[in-house]
Amino acid sequence: MFNKKTLTIIKRELKEKLFSKNFIIMTLLIPVLMFGVLGLQTFLINYNSDKSANIRIVTESSDLTANLITELQQKNFVKNKSYNISCETINKNDFANYLKAHKKELEAEKLTGLIFISDSAKATKKIGYYSKNPNDNAVFNKLKSPINKVLIAQYFEGKQLSEKDIAYAKESVDFNAFRVTSGDKVEKEGYGNRIVSFLFTFLLYMSMIFAGTMMMRSVIQEKTNRIVEILLSSINAKDLMTGKILGAAITSFFQMAIWISPLIILLSTSIFMLPPEFVMQIDMIQILYFMLNFAIGSITFLGLFGAVGAIFDNEQDAQSGIGPVMVLIIIPFFIAIGMQDKADNQISTISSMLPFASIIVMPARMTLFAVPLWEVLTSIVVNAATMFAMFAISGKIYRIGILQTGKKPKWSEVVKWLRYDN
Amino acid sequence: MHALEVRNLCKAFGALKAVDDISFSVPEGSIFGLIGRNGAGKTTTIRMMMNIYLPDSGSVTLRGSEIGPDFKDKVGYLPEERGLYKKMTVWDTLLFFAELKGKADKDIKNKAMEYLEKFQLANRRNTKVEELSKGNQQKVQFIATVLHDPEFIILDEPFSGLDPINTNILKEIILSLKRAGKVIIFSTHLMDFAEKLCDHIAMIHQGKIILSGSLKEIKSNYGQKNISLVHDGDISFLKNDPFVEKVDDFGNYSGIKITDPSKAQALLKTLIEHNIIIKKFDANDISLHDVFIELAGNDDETENNNGALNV
Repeated sequence: MFNKKTLTIIKRELKEKLFSKNFIIMTLLIPVLMFGVLGLQTFLINYNSDKSANIRIVTESSDLTANLITELQQKNFVKNKSYNISCETINKNDFANYLKAHKKELEAEKLTGLIFISDSAKATKKIGYYSKNPNDNAVFNKLKSPINKVLIAQYFEGKQLSEKDIAYAKESVDFNAFRVTSGDKVEKEGYGNRIVSFLFTFLLYMSMIFAGTMMMRSVIQEKTNRIVEILLSSINAKDLMTGKILGAAITSFFQMAIWISPLIILLSTSIFMLPPEFVMQIDMIQILYFMLNFAIGSITFLGLFGAVGAIFDNEQDAQSGIGPVMVLIIIPFFIAIGMQDKADNQISTISSMLPFASIIVMPARMTLFAVPLWEVLTSIVVNAATMFAMFAISGKIYRIGILQTGKKPKWSEVVKWLRYDN
Repeated sequence: MHALEVRNLCKAFGALKAVDDISFSVPEGSIFGLIGRNGAGKTTTIRMMMNIYLPDSGSVTLRGSEIGPDFKDKVGYLPEERGLYKKMTVWDTLLFFAELKGKADKDIKNKAMEYLEKFQLANRRNTKVEELSKGNQQKVQFIATVLHDPEFIILDEPFSGLDPINTNILKEIILSLKRAGKVIIFSTHLMDFAEKLCDHIAMIHQGKIILSGSLKEIKSNYGQKNISLVHDGDISFLKNDPFVEKVDDFGNYSGIKITDPSKAQALLKTLIEHNIIIKKFDANDISLHDVFIELAGNDDETENNNGALNV
């Protein structure tokens, strides 16, 4: 599988890819893109919840109304006028008419919502929300806590409780997450691991798609330029493809090492103190697994992208042909991202040991959840087996495809190529 | 002895027989022309000769030994469509292709410099290929083909895109390679160049050899059957002559095709006996172009022509 000519090809690939401006740009650009996506997501969530709203709160008792006004006026969203809240006191029997009177305003969304706190709600805490969009989490999240506080304060009023007791009752529960592993330590968990899991998933996804697309382009270019004819008069197709894949894989590996290096520095020194909520429980073995997994994954996917490049002789056709390979990267990417909320579910467990999916899912899963050793070993074996199988299949497709020009081949023809002897 | 022998090569892609039992041999010290229309099977044949494709059956022998994987280092190939990495410099390109042929020593650098000087490209050695003119790119491609001192050189349309001066430089180099004992195969669909440069040819049509042999013999053989005649007098009697195949009579100029080249003298004698005044009698040289048209021009005709014509 390896000879001197393959080395010549690797050298050329490295010279073209690793020592190029493009490499530096991509190495810088992908993290920027990643944080861009994170930023955009945060922006979109906040944008949605910061939408201004016009809320009317109606109660049956003037005390309650007054307390609500006092409580709400302290809130930022009222102070900065993003929420316009008005409070009124009416009789319970009049509420039906009151609602009728304001129906038009609600329909036109002049009034975002109408909250009715009846006297019975003082005991049951069940309050009504009337709106054109009655499942508005943004409104509930903002108003739940202040209304709750006011109700609690009213409920305990005159029950001879100390301020301290009431303050306690007003406080909501705060989860402190602790990671339990097979080791002796039980450690407090912050956001650190979720960030690392996201980082791993995103970098794997980006790197494989970018390196793969570059590989595909390079193969198409060689094919359309007919460089491949000269190359094949000097080196056989399998050695050529091996050289190209390894050249690209070494480049990606090097790039990944650069991206991961800040993480390695954080883990191996205690110079940098992270705020407690960002402390992560990652060890070097996980980093090593990540890099090994990445190397195997790169070779697997670069082979597939190369084979698709060899099938087609222009980029438009290849873009449509790359679909099936992209699915193998995109679906695991979504599984891995979805795991952020709940790492231990059946889909993620199974997909972390499936061919192709394992490459992206397992590293993310390992950072969120203590994965049993046998599962990790299984995934390594599965990935390595997939790599060798794909290498053979891609090699065959490449060998035949690279010399075919003209008509775009059908998939059935490509399957036939696999049966050709030479 | 033949330098290169191709015996009974066959290659099919599914139902399509791209190359169907092709045999020819290239004598030592000659330039061999592989001629045929696009899609005739030239490229497939060449790919089998370079061990890119394995033939379904048949063999290729270079100086007595059958070609195998190690043969790739001995071959130099200039494809029809130019293939160079656009972003690489001229120098890197040459060294890369030489290294692929297993040559990475100091000698190759000296030789590369020599060739660059010969082609007046020495001052552009650090230029990127994409910045060169088409003609210059072609020269670089040619140097890459021969730099590793191959025994066997395949040139596919080497002159396309070159100006007359560069054509001459290239021609001189090809001839000097011939003198150095290299086996040169020249593939083209342009008969003019083949006619000027080749000693031997093989004509491929629909995957089969329809003609092969020494160019001189082919031309004289085909040519001697065609006689152009400038004359006074009625030659209509020739139509009944057994060795005359066809007469195109234009009054005082006629084109006559005879059945056998050796009958030219007999034809002359017959004309004199019939008191025809002969102003010009030319058993002329036919051009390779005409031979090609005659053999491959009409597909229906050639399909009936099963036997390859060996001269």
